[in-house]
Amino acid sequence: MSYLPMLSEFSVEGPIVVADFGKFMGIPIRLTESITVQWLIILIFGVLFFVLGRNLEVKPTTRRQVIAEMIVGTLNGMVNDTMGPKYFRYQPYIGALLMFSLGLSISVYLGMLPPTADISVIATWGVLTFMLTNYNRFKSGGLLRGAKSFAKPIFLLPSNLISEISNPMSQTFRHYGNILAGLIIGGLIFWALQMAIKIPILIPVPLSLYFDLFQGFLQAYVFATLTMVYISMADTSPEAEEA
Amino acid sequence: MTNIGFVLGMEALGAGLALLAGIGPGAGEGYIGGKAVEAIARQPEASGAITRTMLLGDVIAETSTVYAFVFALLCMFAHPFANFLADANL
Repeated sequence: MSYLPMLSEFSVEGPIVVADFGKFMGIPIRLTESITVQWLIILIFGVLFFVLGRNLEVKPTTRRQVIAEMIVGTLNGMVNDTMGPKYFRYQPYIGALLMFSLGLSISVYLGMLPPTADISVIATWGVLTFMLTNYNRFKSGGLLRGAKSFAKPIFLLPSNLISEISNPMSQTFRHYGNILAGLIIGGLIFWALQMAIKIPILIPVPLSLYFDLFQGFLQAYVFATLTMVYISMADTSPEAEEA
Repeated sequence: MTNIGFVLGMEALGAGLALLAGIGPGAGEGYIGGKAVEAIARQPEASGAITRTMLLGDVIAETSTVYAFVFALLCMFAHPFANFLADANL
């Protein structure tokens, strides 16, 4: 009895390549499923939030405005609690990151591969966080204080540099790995049920609720929170270092 | 046993061993959960903030498991060592 043909029916593949534009300076340029789904979510969110934010009044009279105020108020509170009023100007970036990550994870319910299960998408956000962190490090305290903050105390300089590189890596792997793990576990159970009783119903539902919905929420929240913590911890201005 | 069969089997073994990394975070997350229950029992009015902090700690403790999971996935589906063997024509 051979298990091999049965096992090979379950495979893990990356996002579909929609269009291939050949190579540019040795780097393959491809339009993948991740990019198209991201643009779809951007369109949906654009229309949704445009409709939510129209005709605002001082005293909310419509349900639409109450929902809009709830979303903005929650995000404002989150950024204010974690970063303080000094960095409140990062609220649009953090809010967009959180909502976008959430939307991408939930797009699995539209029957598509969620772009958050693609390492390229999350790695982009990780690099963005890394750049913002170091921008804030050199902006808030100047070039010299920023460079000095890596060597504090001096014998920890190599490990500080390594941890600076590993921050975006760990953020990336955490988010992408969790979503991908959910997809693979869900797929395996679906496949096993299909093999065993031919009708894969009921059991995948709570699993999907946990892995896709709850983990999607949680990873978006954690990614945004860690971004806020990294940015506000990189403050090298004199008054922040005394405190 | 062929060389490629040996390497494929070893990759599967490595993937399984990598997932042993789940032990530590599992124990750690249990500890975090227990401590959160204690904290909520002592101060029920702060349960929202405690739950948020607990989830954050859980997810950060989970990171090493996810590293191991990504490595296991590489071993299972990307076959780095088997590809190396095929490239080297051994």
